Amino acid sequence: MKVAELLDRRRQQWHELELKCYALERGRLRALGGQGIARFAALYRAACADLALADAYQLPPDTIQYLHQLVGRAHNQLYRSQTFRWRAWGDEMFRALPRRLLRDRALWLAFGVFWGLFGLAMLLGYSSRPFVEQMVGEATMAQMQEMYSGPIFGRNPGASSVMTGFYVFNNASIGLQCFAGGLVLGVGGLFVTVSNAVFLGAVFGFMFTTPERHNFIQFVTAHGPFELTAIVFAAAAGMRLGFSMVATGGLTRGASLRRAAALAMPTAGAAVVLFCLAAVIEGFISPSALPYPFKVAVAAGSTAALLLYVVGFGLAPSKYPERE
Amino acid sequence: MPKPPRQLDSRIEIVTPENIAFHYVLAGPFRRLPAYLIDVGIRMGVVLLVAMAAALAGIGGLGAIGFGLMLIIWFVLSWFYGGLFETFWNGQTPGKRMLGLRVLSVDGRPINAMQAVLRNVLRDVDAWPMVGYGAAFGIPLYMLGLVVVTANDRYQRLGDLACGTIVVVERHTRLTGLAQIEHREVLQLARQLPANFTASRQLAQTLSGFVARRGRFSPARRFELAGILAGPFVERFRLPPDTNPDLLLVSMYFRTFFADRIAADDAPDPQPEPAEAASP
Repeated sequence: MKVAELLDRRRQQWHELELKCYALERGRLRALGGQGIARFAALYRAACADLALADAYQLPPDTIQYLHQLVGRAHNQLYRSQTFRWRAWGDEMFRALPRRLLRDRALWLAFGVFWGLFGLAMLLGYSSRPFVEQMVGEATMAQMQEMYSGPIFGRNPGASSVMTGFYVFNNASIGLQCFAGGLVLGVGGLFVTVSNAVFLGAVFGFMFTTPERHNFIQFVTAHGPFELTAIVFAAAAGMRLGFSMVATGGLTRGASLRRAAALAMPTAGAAVVLFCLAAVIEGFISPSALPYPFKVAVAAGSTAALLLYVVGFGLAPSKYPERE
Repeated sequence: MPKPPRQLDSRIEIVTPENIAFHYVLAGPFRRLPAYLIDVGIRMGVVLLVAMAAALAGIGGLGAIGFGLMLIIWFVLSWFYGGLFETFWNGQTPGKRMLGLRVLSVDGRPINAMQAVLRNVLRDVDAWPMVGYGAAFGIPLYMLGLVVVTANDRYQRLGDLACGTIVVVERHTRLTGLAQIEHREVLQLARQLPANFTASRQLAQTLSGFVARRGRFSPARRFELAGILAGPFVERFRLPPDTNPDLLLVSMYFRTFFADRIAADDAPDPQPEPAEAASP
């Protein structure tokens, strides 16, 4: 059979496949119907066969190129990405993730580094003013004092919503940067964790020595647990990425990185969620005129929720056998 | 494990479950840059629109709530714009769709939500260093990304390496079909070729490449080009030495792709293709 005849025979089917690809690319899966989908699969397989035999048929090069792109296009529609599956998502969120968090050594390292340095810097900041001057700078110190000097509680809700937006924008961005920065051998995540811990610790220690300490403590209590935990989570996710390229566990560096990325991503997601929760509390509850015991209750409640999530859910028996 | 040989050009081969290998053309950094710029433009446009709406709402008495919302939208767009689009648009953002690019897994399958989000969050590292003021108003230079892209053979930046994705060019070429030939001299010449003439695969490819492009050359240049290949065939087929080399190649093309035999009379045209297939 000559190429011209063959093309004549096949071109109708190719065209039909092209039309179906077009429909699927526009998301008209339902309009295609069951039969249409079965037909699509059959046409795709036929085009595959044509491509496989293209050399034997001596098809001209531009026809082969057309077939490559047609098969690629149909392949892309047939083996589509699964979009969201709520069930799998819930499983990941409430079973797999807490289990991993509890056993994640990068998380405990980040936790230790952050809280250890935070406590140390707070002690130093409380006892020595020069330390704070070096770590934070005089300008920021004065600014902090001024921020908490006036009556700051009970501002209008409009300002609260702007501030909530700002806290999400600023803090969650920093968290994600900290995560992404971890990719550079974990140094990025570690660096940001250390600098955050020392800076915040020094500020806390310093503020306790000033007359504005009551305002300061009242302001930071409510959102503290969520926000500080979020910093730790983001750093841990970043470190997991970075360390995976150093300690590969026998895999190639690329494979080790891909595996770590899949594990670290949900942790980073949890950090973003925590940053957002902290932002809402920081925007609406922390600066409100609510009595201090209420704010303490919010802090205690959020700490309990975090503990329940990481430890409680983390220790729950797994539905599946352990992978590692 | 031995590494597979590196390809010289930017095509990669993907083997489907049907055991067919097809090709994709990888998109290099300078194909991806325009798509990225389009996406940045769209993102900035949306933020500006929301800012204006927030300002109007502020004047309208809704207070500053709009600005809080604007900041949240800005945050979501700057970190999850690409991830969300690539999840729901099967590996494409508006910029990528406009320029015919698509993100795929290295094995050719479509990406999942995790890959889509992660590769766009890690963009932050690829964008190093930032110049200008902070993360919100800085201009990313993408130096790290560029270095990583040139250092591996699939044009993957760090985000791509971490989630095993590639960016490919999706060309939607039309089926051009065969050139239509009804020139009388060609048919006559085709009849003079030996009956057992069959073109090898390489020759067939060369012939169809020549026929597809010959319309773009001036007659003299066409002659000259065709002469290189036609010369030896003139001798082998024992044709008169003044045979038009251009027409000889066309007739060989005709014999290869259209008909083994040509009827003796002068109207042998098998009506090969509809008009759209005509070569330029």
